[in-house]
Amino acid sequence: MTTIQYLVGFLIIATVITGILFVLFGQITVRKLRKNPKTKDLLGLEYVSGWDIINTAQALAFPGFLSKKLEKSPLSFMYANSKILIENTNRFDRFLGSVFYWIMVFSGLSGALIVLLNSLGAFTG
Amino acid sequence: MSEILLCNQSLNSQALQRQCGINTDQLSALSCEAPTMTAPNTPYLIGDDPSGIGRGVLGQFAPAHVARELTNLSLSFGGDNVVALAEINAKLKEYSIGLMGASTSVYAHRIGGFAGSVKDYQAALMEYRQAARSGSPLKIAKKQQAHAAFRKMQSQFRNELDVVNSQVRARRGTPLTSAERATNIARSSRNAAKLNVTSQVQANNLVKFSQHAKFLGNGLAVIDFGGRVGSIHNRFQAGGNWERELFVESSSFAVSALTGTAVVNVGTAALGLLVVATPIGWVGLVVGGVAVAGTAAAASIGMNSVVKNNSGGVYDSIMKWISGVL
Repeated sequence: MTTIQYLVGFLIIATVITGILFVLFGQITVRKLRKNPKTKDLLGLEYVSGWDIINTAQALAFPGFLSKKLEKSPLSFMYANSKILIENTNRFDRFLGSVFYWIMVFSGLSGALIVLLNSLGAFTG
Repeated sequence: MSEILLCNQSLNSQALQRQCGINTDQLSALSCEAPTMTAPNTPYLIGDDPSGIGRGVLGQFAPAHVARELTNLSLSFGGDNVVALAEINAKLKEYSIGLMGASTSVYAHRIGGFAGSVKDYQAALMEYRQAARSGSPLKIAKKQQAHAAFRKMQSQFRNELDVVNSQVRARRGTPLTSAERATNIARSSRNAAKLNVTSQVQANNLVKFSQHAKFLGNGLAVIDFGGRVGSIHNRFQAGGNWERELFVESSSFAVSALTGTAVVNVGTAALGLLVVATPIGWVGLVVGGVAVAGTAAAASIGMNSVVKNNSGGVYDSIMKWISGVL
């Protein structure tokens, strides 16, 4: 196998894991938050159906100071409210959210990096 | 080129002569006989068909659900526009692979919105047509609704409409450039429409368009997935290695969607931080948003092609490894 095939294989595995975690986090945590009247309006802007799962994961995964900054900005309506969400979730929810979010972001951005390197001709050797 | 006639009610030869200036002798149906009357929602070929293309086109339009939808679309939009819209729709499918990857990108949303607004406009026109034909007192209100739907479509999707209309050459304007013309077409007592179909490919696009027209607004996902399933099925029918094709198509879809999602998410967070840290205004935000969407689309289109080119090799290695272990 060539280098890029290893990387693509790795990405496919990461994508499958992300997919499984997305469904699990959506079903276990976000479903609960969507039903809770205290939190159901605080899940951020839903560009497409299901995007609130990603907003919630981001709010649970980001370090506190970053979330606070985002929520103070004029764009705060786009993000989920981390303070109230953290109050309404247990430790397992927060763990699941962080794992899902960071695996998603890491594998997605490394995908973008591979595309960039590929277009620069890094794998043609 | 073949000329196809579609009517929404049965017409005898006098009515046909009066409405369209067509003699029934010129018509032929799929069953090859010269009809004395035209049946509703049935395609007829006008003129002779030395090349045999017309017959093939008739065959493609013949299924009842295709013919009915196509008749309605042609009567409310006019024949030229239906052909143009079908072409646009076929192009969208080519782009949709990349757009779907960035399923969240602003542009995918926009195309969905465009399809939706054309659909709303069409629905309003059809309602007006019904009201006008039956002389209902709601006629004027329906006409206003159609005009409102047109204005909404015009104001939001001017660029897309220009693309569609640049392919249509109608001197009096088309329902997509003038609401007045549209309501006139809808009101007039025409119940037959002619389609000029130049090729089998065009006919195929028309068939697909009439089938998609109903749920176009719901998503490019359906279309994109349909395309991918189609290529797996082709491989299966050709007796090829369809499991490998399945692996390639599904993994490239999933990975490119993931890439687009991550870029959009991180991009919006970065944008939010930028807003706090710097005094950029709303203009900067819009520019930033477009940049994020563009990056996401580029990344996922690139990802789609990288994975398509390489996941076949990954599949082969996995299979080799498995057969080595067993």
